[in-house]
Amino acid sequence: MKSMIVLEDGSSFEGISIGEPGERFGEVVLNTAVVRYQEIMTDPSNAGKILVLTYPLIGNYGIAKKFNESRRCWIAGLVIKEESRIYSNWQAEGSLCDFIKEEKVTAISEVDTRTLAITIRDKGEMFGAISTTDLKKESLLKKLSQQKTNGKDFIKAISVKHPTPLKTGSSGPTIAVLDLGMLNSFIHQLKILNCNVTLLPYDTSASDILSMRVDGLIISNGPENDISLPKVADTVKTVLGKIPMLGIATGHQVIGMAMGCKLRKLKIGHHGVNYPVRPAASFKGEITAQNHSYVIDENSLKNNKSVAITLRNVNDDTIEAMESKTLKFMSVQYNPASPGFEEINEVFPRFLSMAKKGGGILKIKKNSKSYREVAYAKA
Amino acid sequence: MPKRKDIHRILMIGSGPIIIGQACEFDYSGSQACKALKEEGYFTILVNSNPATIMTDPNMADATYIEPLTVEAVTEIIKKERPDAILPTLGGQTGLNLAYFLMKEGILKKYGVESIGANVQAISRAEDRELFKKAMLEIGIDVPKSGIARSVEEGMKIGLSIGFPLILRPAYTLGGSGGSIAYNKEELEAFLAKGLEISPVHQILVEQSVLGWKEIEFEVMRDCVDNVIMITSMENVDPMGIHTGDSIVVAPSQTLTAEEYARFVNLSKKIIRKIGVTGGGANIQFAQNPANGHIVIIEVNPRLSRSSALASKATGFPIARVATKLAVGLTLPEVLNQVTGRTTAFFEPTVDYCVFKICRFAFEKFPGTPRVLNTSMKAVGEAMSIGRNFMEALQKGIRSTETRRFGLGSDGRDKITDSMLKNPSADLINEIKEKIRVPNDERLFYIRYAIKLGMTNEEIYELCKIDRWFIDNIRNIVETEEELKKYRNENQKDGIRIPQNLLLKAKRYGFSDAQIAFLVTSTENDVREERKNKNIKAAYKLVDTCGGEFKAERPYYYSTYETKCESEPSSNKKKVMILGGGPNRIGQGIEFDYCCCHASYALREEGYESIMVNCNPETVSTDYDTSDKLYFEPLTVEDVMNIVDIEKPIGAIVQFGGQTPLNISGTLHKLGLNILGTSPESIDIAEDRKLFQQMLKKLKLVQPDNGTATSFEEAKEVAKKIGYPVVVRPSFVLGGRAMEIVYDEKSLADYMEKAVEASPERPILIDKFLEDAIEVDVDAIADGQTCVIGGILEHIEEAGIHSGDSAMVLPPHTLGKDIIETIKKNTYAMAMELKVKGLMNVQYAVKNNVVYVLEVNPRASRTVPFVSKTIGVPLAKLATKIMLGKTLKELGFTKEKVPSYVTVKESVFPFIRFPGVDAILGPEMKSTGEVMGIDSTFGMAYAKSQIAAGQKLPTKGNVFISVKNQDKRNIVFVAKKLADLGFKIMATSGTADALKSNDIDVQVLPKLHEGRPNILDLIKDNKVNLIINTPAGKTTKEDEIKIRSHAILYNVPLITTLSGAQASVNGIENLIKKPKTSVKSLQEYHKLKK
Repeated sequence: MKSMIVLEDGSSFEGISIGEPGERFGEVVLNTAVVRYQEIMTDPSNAGKILVLTYPLIGNYGIAKKFNESRRCWIAGLVIKEESRIYSNWQAEGSLCDFIKEEKVTAISEVDTRTLAITIRDKGEMFGAISTTDLKKESLLKKLSQQKTNGKDFIKAISVKHPTPLKTGSSGPTIAVLDLGMLNSFIHQLKILNCNVTLLPYDTSASDILSMRVDGLIISNGPENDISLPKVADTVKTVLGKIPMLGIATGHQVIGMAMGCKLRKLKIGHHGVNYPVRPAASFKGEITAQNHSYVIDENSLKNNKSVAITLRNVNDDTIEAMESKTLKFMSVQYNPASPGFEEINEVFPRFLSMAKKGGGILKIKKNSKSYREVAYAKA
Repeated sequence: MPKRKDIHRILMIGSGPIIIGQACEFDYSGSQACKALKEEGYFTILVNSNPATIMTDPNMADATYIEPLTVEAVTEIIKKERPDAILPTLGGQTGLNLAYFLMKEGILKKYGVESIGANVQAISRAEDRELFKKAMLEIGIDVPKSGIARSVEEGMKIGLSIGFPLILRPAYTLGGSGGSIAYNKEELEAFLAKGLEISPVHQILVEQSVLGWKEIEFEVMRDCVDNVIMITSMENVDPMGIHTGDSIVVAPSQTLTAEEYARFVNLSKKIIRKIGVTGGGANIQFAQNPANGHIVIIEVNPRLSRSSALASKATGFPIARVATKLAVGLTLPEVLNQVTGRTTAFFEPTVDYCVFKICRFAFEKFPGTPRVLNTSMKAVGEAMSIGRNFMEALQKGIRSTETRRFGLGSDGRDKITDSMLKNPSADLINEIKEKIRVPNDERLFYIRYAIKLGMTNEEIYELCKIDRWFIDNIRNIVETEEELKKYRNENQKDGIRIPQNLLLKAKRYGFSDAQIAFLVTSTENDVREERKNKNIKAAYKLVDTCGGEFKAERPYYYSTYETKCESEPSSNKKKVMILGGGPNRIGQGIEFDYCCCHASYALREEGYESIMVNCNPETVSTDYDTSDKLYFEPLTVEDVMNIVDIEKPIGAIVQFGGQTPLNISGTLHKLGLNILGTSPESIDIAEDRKLFQQMLKKLKLVQPDNGTATSFEEAKEVAKKIGYPVVVRPSFVLGGRAMEIVYDEKSLADYMEKAVEASPERPILIDKFLEDAIEVDVDAIADGQTCVIGGILEHIEEAGIHSGDSAMVLPPHTLGKDIIETIKKNTYAMAMELKVKGLMNVQYAVKNNVVYVLEVNPRASRTVPFVSKTIGVPLAKLATKIMLGKTLKELGFTKEKVPSYVTVKESVFPFIRFPGVDAILGPEMKSTGEVMGIDSTFGMAYAKSQIAAGQKLPTKGNVFISVKNQDKRNIVFVAKKLADLGFKIMATSGTADALKSNDIDVQVLPKLHEGRPNILDLIKDNKVNLIINTPAGKTTKEDEIKIRSHAILYNVPLITTLSGAQASVNGIENLIKKPKTSVKSLQEYHKLKK
């Protein structure tokens, strides 16, 4: 079935429908990762987005439940170049095609995704529409302008409905996660680190959080620019400085908002697995996975003397991580993804050791290996 | 961290001659490194024995030594230049080994030279099998079960405890040389003996076989502050069991999950840290069990490699440049990514296309070698292609290999046709299955046949263990082929009826116009017109390192059939296209890439926009900053014309890329592409027998009697007329392909029978063979008005040996003044007559003071770089400027420069890779590369060339001599000289009699069947230091072949021609007189001349 994707600026691309027929609207974002299609599609941070994968061959290794980052697919639509006819990997349980159908994703293939990507690179991220029913550009554009909203409302649906303890049966630290769309792979790392994790609904009150007397609180990743975020920021503002806190991606931005910072939208967001970050005035950095379109506006943080910017993006110098001793938090704009199977990103053990000391921040050690060793020892 | 200020002078080691396993990729990496060091302001000293490289151009390094890559020579250079550091990671295994031995012998310590890039510890950990295994186990990474053997007995014990099949890897050898797979006890014993011999440290790894597992490679880089980045993953389409240098490879990996990918990344990081690379790159090879994901490590190369060159070209990330900067202490965030011009090298490249690498083999050059692939590398070159999907990349890749295929079959050249496959015999089915089961260079085609036979993906997988994903992609190609066939016409004149959608799909799946034409009975031209009418045109996409995220500054393109073309031709009117040489193969190597690069440099100097078209990932010409624009494309008429349609250059340079561009230049010219330089009409005169004869007649020049024939009857007549022996060969070939010297009618009949597709357009050429003539090569340059000799090269070996295989000396050392004058005069006359604009190569034979013209090629020859290096004049660059309209006078080159020193070019041969093949020279070219020896005398220059080529000329010991009757008189002088120099002479009865009667003391050895110890025993016992064995002509005796192949296997210097023996004795005499190598840089030599 012929299909079409139209962008706000009027550019359009033809393709073939490979999923749920229909018409969907959303912000069009790129992802430049070569693998990870399943993880990206199930990442709640991508809720409501029309996802364009720039790698042209998708579905090669199929789908397996264990790779889901959350309970379902959250994207509004998927745009790819070519869907593999078969899948081939010992772990695969099914095809991408079946997955797309089960998850009712509107998806189109055979699109010149490179040209689409370049359009977005040159003009900035924008809204778009994909349709398998209406192939007229003008009418799609018209609908698009009506559907376009400034705020989105996904976190309500994504977040757990009740405080949800995840059984680990361990004697490790107790960690609460304010769930804006927490990734399964982050939870998995916490489990390896022996944490007792409880997921909290996004609208849990500050007093409820404080009364739990957890060792640490994580403000998770999740959709950006969501209408629930200001309220979450208010909650965070109240607990900030009272519990050791870790902000991840959107959670990092929420902590910023709680301190009165402004967010700024990037022309093209960071969506991929190859973003370099490093401390200012250091040559040693790290390659990180990222998925965000907004950043904390540095000007709005300038007067805040209690917060240190600990990492910056090597390419565009934007804030990638912050820490505050007085406010007892650390936060990262990037995804602290596992560096390998069953291994731990150094962010988590670092946070745990901060939590253990009741919020005292460790000095940044030059040799980051020691964090890994901590992780191995614990694992 | 700023670059290091405690080092100032850096010595770089090149990789030496092109051999199987080590090709132009190290010129590419070495050139990038030279530029990078220069940028950082270091004084660079370079040593490399290979003159056909860009890196040895005198402006690349500050001091360039073309000297043998031996501990002795490099020690002399270190003594003279006193470098602070040595950079051994850019010269392949040769460079790394040399650094290792310099370290072992205490030279580095003695002269205070630090190894940068990979320190001594890192080299040892990666190269020493035992240390490697231990290091990997320490970080919890599995290695295949294995043991190190130092003797056959030890090896047998280890092998039997692990169980068959077993992989055997000799330590410190290159390209898996000597590696083999043993399936039983007998094989194990035989391979152990051989492998131990080949290993320079006499160690061999006996290893558990992981045959059929996935082979995955990662390119990793690490800087001195421990930043680690992945450049790309690569997946070998051919599973474990085939050397990765012979495997079909895709980048990035296609069948790994994100989790597996992360696992590999994590292991790679651990490994590069453990090995201890502190400023450079490494290639890491893993094997993965496809059934459960279990990973074992196979190998780590802590240096630039063939794979890293491929990874560079595949992603656009300049690994060699960055590695060099890291080696001098810079960190990744400090190095700019020149491709985007706005990001740093501290990132991981990502791609939005599929890269395909396929190898080029030369089995046809070594008849009798089984066409089978295993762990010992056999490929002589490779091509890379890029597509938006695997199928497109695969079909482009196949047509890039220059094997006259236009894609995956259906091009009229299939061995097994569709009609044969319709009712296949049991034998045919078996053959197809066997060709899929046993790895070989035609396997892709046989998978296609199997699909047509109705075999399932699963059945094919079970035979070859190639991942089902790849097999299914091939199936998709076959299915598309079947769809296209539905529109087959009976008559060529009927119009093409393929619907728009199907035609577009076929192009997107990589089908060439030629394949489509074959499938529907049309012509390539008609298909092209048809698709242009349907607006189906190639679009060019950028290779930008980042999947389109950042705007790229470097225009590096590939074609695909997408909606938007990203290549925006400049409005610059002065725009010239250079057609490159495609994959390396015997007869066409790095020399032509050298010339193409110079063409590009010249265009830049003259203010022209340069557009390079080539598909060889190993080369400098496909580096991102060599030309203004780079199109990574196959060199076929279709692919080139697609670029021409967009770029509309004022013309193309075809005379530098060897045979590849010449083969298509006629058609390109007819399609309207302007060919720069010498006109196609003149090229015709040179190539067309009749026209050529007319020209020679007009100029009153002589050539050997000759004729042409398309049948045996005709050939017989011609041969009778001119008299045997005759040289026979097909027209339009390079490297003496299928060329033979025929001594009688019976062998002529044999030749004509198996010969090659002879046709009226392409007849068999027959020449009188001038026995014992001296051959001479002349490289000259002309602008239409003037002609200047670049160099006159006298062959060492007599006529009958391919000029690409012959050693040559410049200036000539035995030719008289009058002969040289005649040669010059003839050359000028022909250059004027052919109105040569650019380079010209003439081959002469001199016999009885008569100068015969053998061949004229109005284009760059294989010897252009050698001559340019010798005389210090960049001939290819000047030739390009002439093509743009300059005159020699304007360029300041009006007088021949005869050097006051001597240079010798020697060839290197791949016989060690083809066991059992007779190691003799003949009219068919067999060498893969060349070296240069340079010194003040012929003897010393020749000796250096031999040492550089791996012939360890002895200065004492035993010499075995066995020559054909004809040579018996002339060998006396050689033997006498050797005896006088203190050698002990050994010979079999016939030769011994001749020597004895001339009062030479000879030990007589029994013939092989007469008794023992015979010569073979002595070779094995290391008791022979030199073998002189001239083959007895056509009917080479079995004994001789055995002797020669033993010499190759046990690395005993072997000389197979009388003239070679004479030159070698001269060299040996010099080595005895002057045991210390004297070294002088090219820059010093070139100054001398003035």
